[in-house]
Amino acid sequence: MSAGGSTGASPAMRAAGHDGRRAWLLTIDTATSQVVVAAAAVDGTLLGVSTWAAGRTHGAQLLPAIGRLTGENNLRRSRIAGVIVGTGPGAFTGLRVGIATAKALAHELNIPIVGVSTGAALLAASGAGERAVLVVPAGPNDRHIVRHAGAPVLLPGGSDPDLAEDEVLVAVDLAGRAPADASERGERARTAFPAALARLGAARLAAGDEDDLARLVP
Amino acid sequence: MTNANADGSLLLAVESSCDETGIAVIAGGRRILSNVVASQTALHAGTGGIVPEVAARAHLRWIVPVLDQALADAGIGLDDVDAVAVTHGPGLAGSLLVGINFAKTLAWVHDKPLVGVNHLEGHLYAAWLTDPGDDDREEPIFPLVALIVSGGHTFLVEMRDHLTYRLLGQTVDDAAGEAFDKVGRLLGLPYPGGPE
Ligand SMILES: [Zn+2]
Repeated sequence: MSAGGSTGASPAMRAAGHDGRRAWLLTIDTATSQVVVAAAAVDGTLLGVSTWAAGRTHGAQLLPAIGRLTGENNLRRSRIAGVIVGTGPGAFTGLRVGIATAKALAHELNIPIVGVSTGAALLAASGAGERAVLVVPAGPNDRHIVRHAGAPVLLPGGSDPDLAEDEVLVAVDLAGRAPADASERGERARTAFPAALARLGAARLAAGDEDDLARLVP
Repeated sequence: MTNANADGSLLLAVESSCDETGIAVIAGGRRILSNVVASQTALHAGTGGIVPEVAARAHLRWIVPVLDQALADAGIGLDDVDAVAVTHGPGLAGSLLVGINFAKTLAWVHDKPLVGVNHLEGHLYAAWLTDPGDDDREEPIFPLVALIVSGGHTFLVEMRDHLTYRLLGQTVDDAAGEAFDKVGRLLGLPYPGGPE
């Protein structure tokens, strides 16, 4: 576990520094085995990222990680201009922790919230193009299949995804249960995922397309 | 706690252990200023019992409106409260997580202390509360015997002082409420068992 390992901000960005007064977007995703907390500029550009293995203690680590991310990037909690939260598909436990936390933050800071499909962000991050098909675990035995602009479809354990010839499989959190090349694409998607999530969320916020704070559920 | 009714402290309390999302504001440890509950009874009626996944999702759906109503009824904001309390168990794991993480974040944003409370102690201490509009009344006097009868628990407990408990007896199989629901189902009554 590497809680608090902060990466993702380019040296140029760090050198430029922040005066602590800039508005920024807090990005949270707890749907996969790697929790992501990221700070982004209002245009979606990443300022800093913290990721760690989810384990059993999501809830204990999320707020401290947000606190560290804020401090390390010379940002202020009071200047968060919006919360972007991943809505899965993914681990139920993680999603509850992440969304409950995101809702309380948005409520108390009186800022907009947008839920972004974790699946859509992973597909965008995979770099595998429009024909990418994401597969992630759904509980201990089943999986979810996500295509671009499509809702997640449950794939019962034992069955294989029905792929068209030109479709490219991207597997996340399925090491040993998916083809090796699909898992490799999944790892690449994971690396670019925080930036993709922030970009998708920022675009919606910029368009005024926020979610209803009460109604947002995974 | 003995002086609780003398001080003016404000507590925000969050409960999500089972099928109700509840948030209350309590003054001086005893006076209810607001007490808002979103019940999922109707949601679970079709299955004749609580489905944990459905329950957790409903907590996420209702927790913000419940908070808004509780603060509005009490006429306060989060900045006015002295501490945030939350049920940390026992209960449905997924449901508890929603309230715990929500409450934790409320406390974190406003730099307030967070207090985890056992759900059954919450039931016991309801006996100390006074409803809005009711006259002040004496606190229960120790030693005392308390009976908890709920959907999940049946306990007889001796209390010689605050927060000290001795278990005198409990059910040997189902909780009283569970038995009630099972009999209701046997009789073909709608969930929860009882008159329509
Ligand atoms: Zn209860």
